[in-house]
Amino acid sequence: MAEETAVINKRSEEIAEASDEWQPTILGILCNWCSYAGADLAGSARLHYPETIRIIRVPCSGRVDPMFVLKGFQKGFDGVMVLGCHPGDCHYAKGNYYARRRIALVQNLLKSLGIPEERFHFEWVSASEGNRFAQLVTEFTEQIKALGPFEGVAKV
Amino acid sequence: MSEIENKIREEARKALESGEISLVIGWGEGSVPFKTTPVFVEKADDVDKLVWNKFCVNNLAVYLPKTARDRKVGIVAKPCDIRSIVTLIQEKQIKRENVFIIALGCGGVADATVPGESTPRQMCLLCEKRQPAIYDVVIGESVPLEEPRAQIIPELLEERQKYWAEQFSKCIRCYACRQVCPACYCRLCFADRVEPRWTARKATADEAWMFHSTRVMHLAGRCIQCGECERVCPVGIPVAELAREMAAVIKANYNYEAGDPKEVAPVLGQFREDDVDPAQHSE
Repeated sequence: MAEETAVINKRSEEIAEASDEWQPTILGILCNWCSYAGADLAGSARLHYPETIRIIRVPCSGRVDPMFVLKGFQKGFDGVMVLGCHPGDCHYAKGNYYARRRIALVQNLLKSLGIPEERFHFEWVSASEGNRFAQLVTEFTEQIKALGPFEGVAKV
Repeated sequence: MSEIENKIREEARKALESGEISLVIGWGEGSVPFKTTPVFVEKADDVDKLVWNKFCVNNLAVYLPKTARDRKVGIVAKPCDIRSIVTLIQEKQIKRENVFIIALGCGGVADATVPGESTPRQMCLLCEKRQPAIYDVVIGESVPLEEPRAQIIPELLEERQKYWAEQFSKCIRCYACRQVCPACYCRLCFADRVEPRWTARKATADEAWMFHSTRVMHLAGRCIQCGECERVCPVGIPVAELAREMAAVIKANYNYEAGDPKEVAPVLGQFREDDVDPAQHSE
């Protein structure tokens, strides 16, 4: 655990040190009960993760209207990340199951529209997975950095 | 053709005369050749206004939510239009007992943008459900179409972003696609909302992208692929293609088909524990 944390911290520090480099802006939509609490835990545990993510807290991943994701890309975010409770763990019993279908469809719609799939990330993160949250943000940031800035949906 | 036409008129006359229905929605002769126009027949003497030919393209189900709210209405419908009617009934916009369906067999309708009547519409080449799903009367028989369909949008996903940016830059935001769509019956469309304003009312490519992509999402599991949106588009954006790909994913993932009378709950209003998981699981 400690070793793992050290690795994540090192990687995110590397990203932070490269501050003269381009840094992506990532939209994160997080469920209040699991993923947001996981992000909170990452903070309380003094874990480092890149400052690239802008978090919106929602009551449940079932609250995530696919329009939030689409709007994120329309407004020019370099990546969009949606995180929710693991299946079976929803605070509202089944919100994340509904979310799972919606997210699967919006993921396919983005593909149809030619938005690179690497720019959208969906994951289950529980309240105890602070480490994993930091790791996911770090990895996603690296992934987006490799792709470069998103030039917008209207780029010809 | 005229034999079918006569039968349609006969059925419409019978239903109107019996007093069972007070209105028949069908196709009538257009102002120019190779076009038809929707007609609303309220008197038995007017049934001769009804026609049937290769240019009866309109999906007339779009008129049902407003006309069949509290009375019984007759409608002349192709198998695709009937799928729309099924969706409207499932979504409780109309009652089954409020529609009298005069179903037609269909061999695809003609593309009016090409001279003559032998070129079928692209959407018809994809049609797999040529049998009317529900009906009160059925006239004529369906014929399969064997012509392969042209690939309209780039197959390569990498080329898609540029392609759609170009397409959406043409959009003038007339909302014809929405107005003609039987599934777009919302009294307040997200595109007309001011607060929150999901998409600004301006004809730029990114706002059009937002409008069309959201519209496809709202039609997920509801679009029966009549292709009306594509037909009415004044600038020729193949919007139906996105909905078609969406429907294919829904069929593959959830074995759900819009317009099928066997479906009991909307695809996004139900789930299974073993549904496809969109999480990427990077560890």
